[in-house]
Amino acid sequence: MNSREKDVLVMALYAGEIMLKNGAETYRVEDTVMRICKAYKISYVESFVTPTGIFVSVDCRENGGDVLTFIKRIVERTIDLNKISKVNDFSRKVSSSFLSIEEALEILKKIDHLPKYPKFLKIFGAATASSFFGVMLGATYSDFISVLITSICIYISISFTEKLNSNFFIQNLFGGAIAAFIAILSIHIGVGIHLDKIIISSIMILVPGVAITNAVRDYISGDLLSGAARTAEAFIVAIAIAVGAGAVMNTWIYIFGGI
Amino acid sequence: MYLQFIFSFLATLGFSILFNIPQKSIIKASFVGGCGWIAFVYWRESFGSLIAASFVGASVVAIISEIFARKFKETVTVFVIPGIIPLVPGAGMYYAMLAAMEKDFSKFAIVGSETLFMAGGIAAAILLVSSIAKMFFEFKKSRKNRDQ
Repeated sequence: MNSREKDVLVMALYAGEIMLKNGAETYRVEDTVMRICKAYKISYVESFVTPTGIFVSVDCRENGGDVLTFIKRIVERTIDLNKISKVNDFSRKVSSSFLSIEEALEILKKIDHLPKYPKFLKIFGAATASSFFGVMLGATYSDFISVLITSICIYISISFTEKLNSNFFIQNLFGGAIAAFIAILSIHIGVGIHLDKIIISSIMILVPGVAITNAVRDYISGDLLSGAARTAEAFIVAIAIAVGAGAVMNTWIYIFGGI
Repeated sequence: MYLQFIFSFLATLGFSILFNIPQKSIIKASFVGGCGWIAFVYWRESFGSLIAASFVGASVVAIISEIFARKFKETVTVFVIPGIIPLVPGAGMYYAMLAAMEKDFSKFAIVGSETLFMAGGIAAAILLVSSIAKMFFEFKKSRKNRDQ
C-alpha cells in the first residue's frame, strides 16, 4: 500500500546506520534521517537516536498510508570520519536534487563499503602519532624508538582482538597491558629511559578522545541521554586502560621486586 | 616552539590516518592539531595553569575547525576530533593510575581531579565555541534576510 514510504524509510535508516556506526554525533544522525525523509516528501518524521540504536517513525496517513516505525540496533562502533563526511554530502545532494530511491541506495551501499586506509598505513599512522606525541612530552630519541615499537604492538593487538569478536573493554585492557609490558621490557633491554613517557605516549592511540568530544557535542544539542552514554563509554575505556597497565606493572613489581 | 609545532603536526597526522579522515583534509586537520598544541604550550609556559591551557588550546582548535569546516565544506568533526587529541590528558590519567597503584590516595585525588578538570576545560571550550559559532551564523543569516 505504501511501499514507497517504506523504501524511503529503509534508505534513510541505512544512511543513519552508516553514520552512527562510524562515530557520528547523535544530532547529526537525527538530522540526516529527517532531511532524507523530508526530501522524499514525507511530511511528518520523528527520529530518536542513541549511541546504541536508531528509532524512526513516519506518518503517511495523508497519502492513504499508515504510521510506520523502524528500529535499528547498532552493536559495533568504530571511527571512520571519511564515511560520515561522505554521507553528509549525500544527504545534502538528496535534498537539493532529485535522486530515485534505487540510485540513492546504490550510492549508500558504495559509501558503506568504502575501503579504509590500508593496514600498513594505519600501523604507520599509529606509530607516528604515538612516537611524536612522546617527543612532544619531552621523550629522548631512545624513548622514541621504544614508543614506536610499543605502539605498533598495541595496534596489532587491537586489530587482532577486534577480529575475535571481543568487546571494547577487553580490547583496551589488552592494549594497556601490552603497553606496560613492552615499555618495561624495553627499559630493561636498554632502549628507552623514561618509563612514564613511553607508556603515556603509546596508550594515546587507545585514549577515548573521540568519545569525549562527541559526548560534549551531544550535550550541547540537548541529547542528554546520548551524552551520558558516551561519557560512560569514555570512562570505561579509561578504566580498562588503567586496569591493564596497572595489573602488568603491579605483577612485575611483585615478581621482580621493582621496575 | 616551531619544533613543537612540527611534532604535534606529525602526531595529529598519525591520528588522522587512524580515524580515516578524507585524504584532502589530512593536512588541514594536522595543521589544526599543531595550532591547538602551540596555544596550549604557550599558555602553560606563560601562566602555568594546565587547566586554563587546555581550555585555550581546545578553543583554538574549535575556532579554526569551525572556519575550515565552512570554508572547505566539510563537517566540523573531521577537524575537531584529530585536533583535540594532542590535548587529551593521557599523562594525567597515567599518573593518577600510578598513584592509585601505590595506594597514595591523596595524590590520586589531586592528579585525578586535575585530569578531570582538564578534560572538562577541553569540553567547555568546544561547547562554547560551537554554540557561539551557531549563534553567530544564525545572526548573520537573519541580518541577510532582513536586508533583502
